[in-house]
Amino acid sequence: MSRTTTRTPRHTSSGYAVGRVRPLVALAWLAPALALIFGVVLFPAVMLFQASRGEYSITGLRKGDAGWANYTKVLEHPDLGTVLTNTVIWVVSVVALTIVISLGLAQFLVKNFPGRRFVRWAIIVPWAASLVITAQLFVLLYDFNYGLINHALKSVGLIETSIDFLGNDSWTMASMVLVGVFVSLPFTIFVFIAGINAIPDDVHEAAVVDGASPWQRWRQVTLPLLRPALLVATVLNVIYVFNSFPIVYTLNDRNPGYLHDTTITFMYKLAFKSQEKDVGMSAAAGVINVLLILLVVAVYLRIVNWREETR
Amino acid sequence: MRTTRKSALIAGAAFAVLFAGACGGGSGAGDASGDSASGGEEAKTIKLVAAEYSKDNTKAFWDAFAKTYKDKTGYTLEVQVVSWDTIDQQSSTMIQNNQAPDILNLNAYASYAKDGLLHDSDAVLPDNVKSDILETFVKYGTYQDKFYGFPDLSSARALFYNADLFKQAGIAAPPKTWAELEDSAKKVAALPGGNAGYALPLGPEESQGEFSMWLFNNGGAWKDGDSWVINSAKNVETLTFLKKLTDAKLTQNNPARTNRADAFDLFKSGKAGMVVGFSPLAGDLDKDKKVNYVVAPFPSNDGSESKTFGVTDYLMAFKKPGNEKAVKAFYELYYQPDQINTFIEKEGFLPVTKTGVEKFQSNAKLKVYLDTLPNAQLTPTDDPAWDKVKLAVQQNLGGAMTGDPKAVLDGLQKTAEASK
Repeated sequence: MSRTTTRTPRHTSSGYAVGRVRPLVALAWLAPALALIFGVVLFPAVMLFQASRGEYSITGLRKGDAGWANYTKVLEHPDLGTVLTNTVIWVVSVVALTIVISLGLAQFLVKNFPGRRFVRWAIIVPWAASLVITAQLFVLLYDFNYGLINHALKSVGLIETSIDFLGNDSWTMASMVLVGVFVSLPFTIFVFIAGINAIPDDVHEAAVVDGASPWQRWRQVTLPLLRPALLVATVLNVIYVFNSFPIVYTLNDRNPGYLHDTTITFMYKLAFKSQEKDVGMSAAAGVINVLLILLVVAVYLRIVNWREETR
Repeated sequence: MRTTRKSALIAGAAFAVLFAGACGGGSGAGDASGDSASGGEEAKTIKLVAAEYSKDNTKAFWDAFAKTYKDKTGYTLEVQVVSWDTIDQQSSTMIQNNQAPDILNLNAYASYAKDGLLHDSDAVLPDNVKSDILETFVKYGTYQDKFYGFPDLSSARALFYNADLFKQAGIAAPPKTWAELEDSAKKVAALPGGNAGYALPLGPEESQGEFSMWLFNNGGAWKDGDSWVINSAKNVETLTFLKKLTDAKLTQNNPARTNRADAFDLFKSGKAGMVVGFSPLAGDLDKDKKVNYVVAPFPSNDGSESKTFGVTDYLMAFKKPGNEKAVKAFYELYYQPDQINTFIEKEGFLPVTKTGVEKFQSNAKLKVYLDTLPNAQLTPTDDPAWDKVKLAVQQNLGGAMTGDPKAVLDGLQKTAEASK
């Protein structure tokens, strides 16, 4: 029924073929999207680039053109190496852990069991909560003096004295990664649930008939067919996690310097918190950030395609 | 046919509006500077960006103030209240886009004066107001012989101690010297229950405040005349003493990574013997009624008279075409005793005017601060370089707890001398 209605040619009287529209009409349909791209993507990007080429006073007043000086200052910043290393550790470990854990949980959640609906709802909750609130909640959980985590570990007898999860340099990154994984799980799990549900039952049945063990079925049937879902989940998570500000900023706010900052919080601190307090430098760091994430995603997609072609 | 053409038109128009809107946002800066070139016309509406001292009182006060201002002067005051967390960011953005407010409430002013953005007192502050402001604050509000940093309120720090813990530890009186402080901290820390003797916040939130209190009470300073003396022998001695307290585990865990708010929380929960506090902390403690605390002057190293560290925030006036009269009327009204002192009382801070000090004398709770206020020492807020040095201190001072205090102060001295 519906098929026939959509197929009815609309512009036969004016001589346009099916699926063709006048350029003006096409523009009209595209206009809102174009306006959004200009207003929300291109325009701010141009402003960011302009800011990165300006010399700014600590008050935010533009004093003149800086040429490429802001970029040199960022690239020569003594802490840039630390910040980049942190960013790599942060993105790789959060995304990798998220994907692995989500694969397991998604596999579990597609099974039918009583109360499945509630478990699925429960998993959405961390996604629905604001990141700042979640981060603040974890600050309380991790607290040295009255945090629940330390309390629990001590009452079980695992540790004697509290662990300074956020202030001790060897724990800070791990503590942040845990929260990063926690908030990335819901989205990833649901991508995988959708992916698993899209796999036709026949292939599993065929595998069973062929005598494949459960592990073989998962490894050689489910996983390859999940490729598109894996690809989407990885690319989007890399971008989200790379750009994640609230978690790193909130959990790390007691630590001086840039010891645990990623490029995003580094950029913010350059503009407002550090002794540089320089909007121009921060904008330059912002431009470098955008280029960096584009590069990472491009390289990733390249690798994935390359594998597909050579198969 | 007609409908498609119509919708094309509408969409096209919408696109044009959106696009123009986007561009308009950018050229706002150009428009504003165009105004200042023409100048001349008198502003009837001015904008105030105020910092949020408390959720309950700040907005209520400024809204009521705007109404009175309108009734008395005929000018309109637009009020925007901004949280302390984001005010630096917002003010910087406003200035970048050439959309500075007429009056901005912030904890620094000298950089703005240096950039030539501000009106000085000759242009916008009534004379009787200037003579009413406490001399200390006029001094620290003056940049290159002109008074730009008009204080809205002040605070002074003092030693808060937990009387119950002190009693339990058998300490009869609050410490008068640093040796006594160390001894008291030792006794409190030795009590069962894992209490901190002295809560020492050297984290990035406000380490310059904590360190100021200590260094002033060792006869040190940030600046001596025109030269920076951050790495003076006295200051190295002070920071070394703080490191000693830390190493001896007389403080809470990891002072270098503890922000002021966390140290206050620790004291509020009754798990710290001593902390440097100010009147809003007293307000919170009175509300909670959980900790039996006493406020005392902060001990000096050698037992000489205690010095206090004072802080003021500022209401600075931005130069915008034709806004002098409205801005002057604003200050005239704000510094009326019934306005400014109501605000200060509600927020739990201290006065900045001579009439205010007289008015608050009757409040026994505030006496300990008021006595010290006229002689309070401030950080060098009158030097634009301080606005950067302050940030450097916040990010680096804590490093001395695991490193070499002298090296840390040397580094800060270098930063200060470089940022002229």
